[in-house]
Amino acid sequence: MSEAVSQAVSEPAEEPARGSTGSGTHRVPALEVRDLSKSFPGVKALEGVGFAAYAGEVHTLLGENGAGKSTLLKTVFGVQRPDSGEILVDGKPVSFTEPSDAMAVGIAMVHQELSLVSEVTAIQNLVLGRERRRLGVIDWREARRRATAALERLRFDAPIDVPVSRLSVAQQQLVELARAISTDARIIIMDEPTASLTSAESERLFEVIEDLRSAGTAVIYVSHRLKEVLDLSDRVTALRDGCLVGTKRRSEIASEDDLVQMMVGRELAALGVSGSGAEPGEEGLRVEGVSVPGVVDDVSFAVRRGEVVGLAGMVGAGRTELARAVIGADRRSSGEVYVQGERVRIKRPGDAIAAGIALLTEDRKHQGLALDMTTASNVTLMDPPGRGGLLSRRRQKAVATEALKPLNTKMQVDKPVRTLSGGNQQKVVLARWLRTESNVFIFDEPTRGIDVGAKGEIHAIMRGLADAGKAVLMISSDLPEVLAMSDRVLVMRRGRVVAELDRDEATEESVVRHAAAE
Amino acid sequence: MSQSTLTPPESATPTSGGGTSVDLRGLAGRAARQGGLIVVIIALVAGFGIARPFFLDPTNLMNVLLQAAVVGILALGQTYVLLTGGIDLSIGSTVAVTAVSAGLFAQQVPAPLAILLAIGVGALCGLANGLLITVTGITPFIVTLGTMSIYAGLALIIAGGQAVYGIPVAFENALAGGVAGIPIPVFLFVVLTVVSALVLKYTIFGEYLIAIGGNSEVARLAGIRVGQHTATAYVVAGAAAGLCGAILTARLGAADPTLGADLLLTAIAATVMGGTKLAGGQGSMAGAAFGAIIIATLTAGLTSLNVQAFYQQVAVGAAIILALLVDQVARSRKA
Repeated sequence: MSEAVSQAVSEPAEEPARGSTGSGTHRVPALEVRDLSKSFPGVKALEGVGFAAYAGEVHTLLGENGAGKSTLLKTVFGVQRPDSGEILVDGKPVSFTEPSDAMAVGIAMVHQELSLVSEVTAIQNLVLGRERRRLGVIDWREARRRATAALERLRFDAPIDVPVSRLSVAQQQLVELARAISTDARIIIMDEPTASLTSAESERLFEVIEDLRSAGTAVIYVSHRLKEVLDLSDRVTALRDGCLVGTKRRSEIASEDDLVQMMVGRELAALGVSGSGAEPGEEGLRVEGVSVPGVVDDVSFAVRRGEVVGLAGMVGAGRTELARAVIGADRRSSGEVYVQGERVRIKRPGDAIAAGIALLTEDRKHQGLALDMTTASNVTLMDPPGRGGLLSRRRQKAVATEALKPLNTKMQVDKPVRTLSGGNQQKVVLARWLRTESNVFIFDEPTRGIDVGAKGEIHAIMRGLADAGKAVLMISSDLPEVLAMSDRVLVMRRGRVVAELDRDEATEESVVRHAAAE
Repeated sequence: MSQSTLTPPESATPTSGGGTSVDLRGLAGRAARQGGLIVVIIALVAGFGIARPFFLDPTNLMNVLLQAAVVGILALGQTYVLLTGGIDLSIGSTVAVTAVSAGLFAQQVPAPLAILLAIGVGALCGLANGLLITVTGITPFIVTLGTMSIYAGLALIIAGGQAVYGIPVAFENALAGGVAGIPIPVFLFVVLTVVSALVLKYTIFGEYLIAIGGNSEVARLAGIRVGQHTATAYVVAGAAAGLCGAILTARLGAADPTLGADLLLTAIAATVMGGTKLAGGQGSMAGAAFGAIIIATLTAGLTSLNVQAFYQQVAVGAAIILALLVDQVARSRKA
C-alpha cells in the first residue's frame, strides 16, 4: 500500500532542490524536528516524527485529519510539550514551555482556528504582545505604521480601526496572517491559511509566501488544497496516523494523485462527484425578496428537490447572512420563504426546523457544537429523546449511535465532543441535522478545513440527499467544489444574486466574473 | 447518601488526586469528583472529632447539616443559573425579601400557605431577573447586581426597617421542626439535591440549560428557546431563595430584613467547590450540596476549636481556593 511512498522517502534532512541560497553542501536547517512523540490519554498523536525545514523553503505538511499535523505544529510552537524527541532551531536544541518562547527564537504561527482578540481592532491585534513603548506607554503611531505596512502587503481593504469581530472570517484570517508576517519571524508556520479565503485573497497570500521564500524565511505550510500544495511547496512531508510517511521533493511529485497517495496510502476517486443528471423534481425551497439591511438586498431564488444548487460569491457577498436570515437566525426586514410550495412563517430557528429546513453552519466550534457536551447530547440537541420532559439517556445514546452509523465513523457517543478530531466533529454536526429528515438542507462551507477523504464523504452525502429528493443549497468558496457539485450555480455579489448559471454555463471564469464584476 | 448515580456525566471528570482510590471507587465510581468531596468531608469530620470528641455527637453532626441546608438549597438554585452561563447575585437579597414576606404572611394565613407564598415571592424576584436579562440583553452580572440592591431595599421597606417579630409557633414548627430526629430543612435539602441532580441528568430542561451554557448560539440554531429556559433558571433560583427565607424566619422566630450578602457568597463558594463552571455548561448539583456541607463542617469545626470568626473567614476562603487548585492539578495531570 505505502510501498512506493516509503521507498521514495528521501533522507528527511536532505537539502531542498529549490531556493538554495546557502553555499556549503551542509546547510543547517532553520527548524528541525527529531523523533518527536506525543500521547494523549488513549491516543498516540505522534510517534517518532521528524522533518527539517530550511531557510528559503516552503515545506508542506500533509496528512488527513487526525494524522497528527496539528499536534506537531503545536509542539513546535510551544503550545504543547512533546513526550520525547528534539526540536532544533538553527541546529541548536530548544525547549519551549510557552508560545512566547517559540516567538523569541523567531517562530511565528498562523493558526487554523482564529486566535484574535475579537473585541479589539486589527491594529491592536497585530501588535499584541509586541507593543513598542515610548516613555512607558504604547507607541500607537508606530503600531499603526507597523500594522498598516503588514496589512498593505496583503492588500487588506477592510477598516483597521474597528473591533475585528465586525470583520468577516476571511478578513480576520488576513489580520492573523499579517500578524505573523509583521513579526519578521524566520520560521513561519501556516495552518490552513487559505481555508476561509477566496481565490483572489489566496493569490495575494501566495505572492506574500513567494516574497517570504525569497527573503529566506522557512515557511511551514499546511493545507488540504492539493493544487496549492503543488504550486507552492519545495518539499512535502506526509504524516499518517501520527507516524511519518516520508518527505518528498516537489520534483518527485507528479500530480495531486501522488499527494493523495502519500497522505492516505491509497488512491482516491478524484473530486469528480458530478451532478446526478437526473431530472430535478418539484420545488423544494423558494425564497422571495429576502432583505437584511446592509447585507442582503431583495434576494429571490428557488431550489428544486433532487437538486444541488451552489451559492458562490466573494466572502462578504452576503451568502451566510442570506442563509441565516432564511432560517430566522437573524432578523430580515422583508422576504418570504416557501417549502414545497407552501409558505412558512419563520421567525426563529425553531420555526425553520419545524418547516423542514436544516442549516449546517460554517463555523463548527462557535455555531455548530456545544463542545463540553457529549456526542450523544450534541446529535440529539434539537429533540432529546424522551417523554413528558424526561430524557432517556439510554435512548439518546442509541439514537446518536444510529445517526452516526451512515457517516462511516467510530466514536464513543458518551464522550465530550471537545475530544474529537475536526473531521469527526463535523460528522457530529452532520448527524444532528441529517436525522431531522428535513426537506431542505443548506450547507455553509461544508468542507472548509477538512481533508480530502472526509471531503469526498461529505460530497457523497450531499449528493445522496439530493438523490433522495431533498433540496440542497451549498454555500462554498471552494470554486472547484462548487463546479463539481452543483446542478446550478447562483452567484452573489454585494448582497444580491447577480447570476444564475446552468451546469454548462458554470465555469471558473464565468463564476469569478460575476462574483467580482463591478 | 449514594449520589453516584445522580451525577451528570458532564461533571464526571475523574480526578485521581485528592483521596484514596479505594474510597473513590467504592463511593462514587465514575463521579470521582464527588467522591473526592466526600473524602474531604469525612476527613474534616474525623479531624475535628479527634480534636473535640463531642463534635462526633449525632446531635452536633445534625446541627452541622442544618447549617449546611440553607446555604445548600441556595447553592442548588444558583447552580441552575450558573449552568446557563449566567449568575444571580440577588439571591441573598431575595432571601431577605422572602424572609420578611414569610414573617408577614405567617401572621395572616396558615403556615403551609405562608411558605408557598414566600416561595412564590422568591420566584417572582427570579422572574424579574430572568425577564430583565433575556429581554434587555444586559449581562446577568449587571442585572442581578442591580436587583440585589433593589431587593435588599424592598426587604427593609416591607419590614419597616426592623425585624418582624411575632412569628406564629405553627409556622416555626412547620419548617424548624423535625421528623424522626431529622430537621425538616435537612430533609428538604437532601430531597432537593436528589431532585435537582435528576433534573440535570434526566430532563430535557436540564439538558437544555447545559446546552445554553455550553454554547447559546448552537442552542438557538437548534431551535431551543434560549430566553425562556434561561429565565426559568432564574425563577428556580428565586424560588429556592424563597424557601431559604421561609426556613430562616421559622428557625430564628423572627424575620431579619438584613440577611443576604453573606449567604450569597457562601452559596457561590459551595457551587464552584462542587465543580460548577462559572462560564456555564458544566455543573453538578451533588457537588453544590457537598460544597455547602464542607463549608458548614469547616465553620462548625473551627468554632468548636474556639477559633475566632475572623480566622474562620480566612480558613473558608483558603478552602475554596484549595479545592479548585486540587481540581486543576488533577485535571492537568489527566490531560
